[in-house]
Amino acid sequence: MSEIPVIAQDKPGKKLIMLGNEAIARGILEAGVIVAAAYPGTPSSEIMPALAKCVPYHPELRVEWSVNEKVAFEIAHAGSMSNVRSIAVMKHVGLNVASDAFMTACYHGVRGGLVVVSADDPSQFSSQNEQDNRYYGLHAIAPVFEPSTAQEAKDMLKYAFQFSEENNSVVVFRTTTRLNHGRADVEFGDILKLNRTPEFDWDRHRWTCVPSSTRPQRTEILLRMKKMTEEADDFPFNKLTISEEKINGKRYGFIATGIAYAHMIDALNFHGIKDKVSILKLGLVNPLPQKLIKKLMTSVDELLVAEELEPIFEEQCKAFAYDWELGDKVKIHGKDFLPQQGEFKPETLITQLAKFVGLDYTPPESATLDILVPPRLPQMCPACSHRNIYWIMKQFSKKHKMKFVNNSDIGCYSLGVYKPLEMVDTMLCMGGSIGMANGFAKIMPDDILVTAFMGDSTFFHSGVAPLINAVYNKNNMLIIISDNSFTSMTGGQDNPSNGITLTKEQGTKILIEDVVKGCGVPEENIWVHEAYDMEGLKEKFEQAVNAKGVRVFIPRHMCSLQEMRLVKKNKIKLPVIKVDHDVCIGCQTCVRQFGCPAISFDYEKRKASIDQEQCRGCKTCIYICPSKAFYIVEE
Amino acid sequence: MNIEQFNILSVGVGGQGVIRVTQILASAALLDNFYVRTAETHGMAQRGGSVSGYLRFGDLVDGPLIAAGFADIIMALEPLEAVRNIKYAGKKSIIFLNDKQILPLSIYQSKKIVYPEFNQILANLKKITNNVFFVKATDLAEKAGNAKTSNVIMLGVMFGTGILPLSEENLEKSILKYVPAKAKEVNKIAFKLGIEEGQKIRSELN
Repeated sequence: MSEIPVIAQDKPGKKLIMLGNEAIARGILEAGVIVAAAYPGTPSSEIMPALAKCVPYHPELRVEWSVNEKVAFEIAHAGSMSNVRSIAVMKHVGLNVASDAFMTACYHGVRGGLVVVSADDPSQFSSQNEQDNRYYGLHAIAPVFEPSTAQEAKDMLKYAFQFSEENNSVVVFRTTTRLNHGRADVEFGDILKLNRTPEFDWDRHRWTCVPSSTRPQRTEILLRMKKMTEEADDFPFNKLTISEEKINGKRYGFIATGIAYAHMIDALNFHGIKDKVSILKLGLVNPLPQKLIKKLMTSVDELLVAEELEPIFEEQCKAFAYDWELGDKVKIHGKDFLPQQGEFKPETLITQLAKFVGLDYTPPESATLDILVPPRLPQMCPACSHRNIYWIMKQFSKKHKMKFVNNSDIGCYSLGVYKPLEMVDTMLCMGGSIGMANGFAKIMPDDILVTAFMGDSTFFHSGVAPLINAVYNKNNMLIIISDNSFTSMTGGQDNPSNGITLTKEQGTKILIEDVVKGCGVPEENIWVHEAYDMEGLKEKFEQAVNAKGVRVFIPRHMCSLQEMRLVKKNKIKLPVIKVDHDVCIGCQTCVRQFGCPAISFDYEKRKASIDQEQCRGCKTCIYICPSKAFYIVEE
Repeated sequence: MNIEQFNILSVGVGGQGVIRVTQILASAALLDNFYVRTAETHGMAQRGGSVSGYLRFGDLVDGPLIAAGFADIIMALEPLEAVRNIKYAGKKSIIFLNDKQILPLSIYQSKKIVYPEFNQILANLKKITNNVFFVKATDLAEKAGNAKTSNVIMLGVMFGTGILPLSEENLEKSILKYVPAKAKEVNKIAFKLGIEEGQKIRSELN
C-alpha cells in the first residue's frame, strides 16, 4: 500500500495547512463517525472527497455521494438510529431539499450523534441565493454551531457529535464560503475509536412520525431546547471577554461568530482597541447564551452585533434587553452599521467600527480609473457539449421563427444565460426546469415551444418526479437532458450516470433513457445522440420538436474537463483544428455568437484563430462557421 | 522573524495556477512558523472567470480577506486582473504583472468593450503606487521548459526582489510539495529563473 494520506494519519499534534473543508473532513474522522453521506454543492464539495481518502485506512467508514441532500440526510438519520455517529453534508440550499426529513428528524432526536453540515454562501459566489441557515436552528428547534477558523471547524465538529448525543439533538453545523474555501494552520487531534456496533433498537414509538409519536416528541424537543439554553453559557466554544476600559467615555461591546468574528478581531486590532472593548464570541449560535449576553449588556453602554446576513442575534438581543429591562442602559446596534447583504469585507468593518466607537479614520484613497475593465464572466469550457445543444436550439428558433420558453436548471448549462448564447429564460432550483415547464405547458399557446434543460446529475437529483408529473398529466414539453456523465459545476464528481461511487468503485451505471422510459415516455419520444455530432444532433432535435407529447432528448458527451484528464493520462492525441485565413471572411460568428473560449479574433487582420493550448478538438467550430474556414490539420 | 501581518493577493484567470501559488505560499509561511489564512475562488466562478487567492500571514491575522488598500503585494498572472483588483492596492503596495494577455470573451460582445493597452494599465496602477513591474513570466516559463510554470516564475520574482519575508528553503520545499511529481525539475528551474529576474527589479523598488 502506498503512503497513508496525511489526513488519514493517526498523528495527534501534527500541524499543517488545510483547506477548511479538509479540516471538516478531519473532524469527521476524529469524531469516530461511521456514516457520511452528501450531495456535492459549492462551497461544501471538497469535504467528502477528503474523507473518502481515509476509507482504505479506516474501513469502518461508510461514505457515499447520495443522489440528493434529502437522501443523504435520511441515510445519516438511519445511521444515528442505529447508534453510530453519522453526518450529512450539503450546501445551504441543499438543506431546503433535505428539510422535509430534517424537520421531523429533529423531533425523533438521536442515538448516535447526528450532524448536518450546512455550507452557506454569503455574496452568492456560486449559489442561487444567500439564505442564512442559522434560521433552520430556530425553525427546527435545533442547536446550531458555527466555527470561525479551520482549527475550530475541526475541533467543534468533533465536539458536535458528543453534544448531539448528550442533548439528544440533531446539530446543524453552519459554515460559510470563506471558511470552507480558505486555508489555515490546523493541529490534529486523536482519532476516536468508539468501537460501536451498529444496532437498531426497534422502537417504533420513537422512530415513526404518526401524530401519536411526534406530538409527545414536540413536548420533549421544547424541553431539550430549554435545557440547552440553560447550559449554553458553559458551551466550550463561546467566549466572553469583559473590558472595563472606555473609549471617549463609553464602554463598547461586540457580539460575533464565524468568519465575521475573525474580520471583527482584525478590525479591532487595526484600530488598536481590541483590549479596550468587551467581546462575546459565539460558537453555539442557537440557542444563545443568555447569562453571558446579560453580563455583556450590563458591562457596556453600546453593543454592536457584527453578524453577516440576517439580524438573527440582533433581534434576539433586542428582545432580551426588553425582557431584562435593560433598554435604557445599553444601546444595541447591528444592521444600522453593517450590511445585511453579502459577505463582510474587512474594509467595511474597519470603517464602520471606527464610526461606531467614534474614532477618526480615513480609509486609503482609491484610484479613479480612466479605463474600463472588461468583465470576465464564468463561461462554459472549450468543447463543452452543453454549448453545442444550445447552439442547435438557438439556430432552430431563429430559422423557424419559433419562440421557446426554455427553463434551465442548476449546473454548468446555467451559464447559457449569458452572452453570446442567452438561451436561458428561467432558472429556479434543482429540478425546477421540468417543474416549471409543466406549468408553462398548461398555459402557453401552441406556437411557443416549452422546453426544460438539465444535466444528468440534476436529473437524478430531482428531475424524475416532475417528469412523471408531465407524463401523467399530459403536460407536453421537450425535455433536454444534456448528459456529460459528471456533476461538473461542483468540480466533476461522479454520479449514477457514470456509475462510479465516491470511493472510486464501479457501482451500477444508470442510463437516463432507461429511467425516462420507466417514467412512461414512449420509446419513439426518446432521442439519444452523440453531442459532438452536430449534423445528427440537429436532425434529432428537429424530430423531437416536431413530435407530440412529452419528448426527451438526450445529447451525450463526457464533460470535456474530465475527458482531458483521460487524454493526458492515456496520452491520446487530439485533432488539431486551425482557421484558414484565406477562407475566413471575418464575420465573427464564432466569437460573437458561438463563444468557444479557444477561439479569438484579431480586429486588425479581421481573422479568427484558435488557441491550441485551449482547444480540445471537438470540431464543433467546423460546423458552426458559415464560410467553412475551420479545418482539421491532423487527426 | 516578527511581523504583524503580510498580505499577498494573487489574481489571474481560471486555469493559470492562482490557487496553486497561494497554496505554495501558505505552506511556506506555515513552515516559517507564521499564522496563515487564505481565501480562494472555487466552483462556478472558476470557469474561465477571474480568480483570486488571498493570503495573509503573521502574528496578527484572524480573517482570510485583505482589506482594500492593504495588499503588500499584488501578483497578477494576467495584467487586466490587477486593474480589476486595484482597490486592494495602497501607496506601499508592490504590483507584479505577467505580461501575458488573455482576452476576455466580453470584448466580442460590444465594440465599447476593449482590452486596454499595457501602458494604460501601467499608468492606472501607478496612480496608486510607483512599484509596478511587468515580468515576462510566460516567456521565462517557456524557457524553464513549461509555459504553465509562470506562477512559479512569479513566485521567484517576488522572492528575488527581497520583499517576501519567507525563507528560500521553505518556499522551494513547498513548491516541490505542491507541483506534480514529473514537473518538479522544471519548477525548480522556473523558481531560479524567477529569482534572477526579481533580483534585477530589486534596485528599482521605491
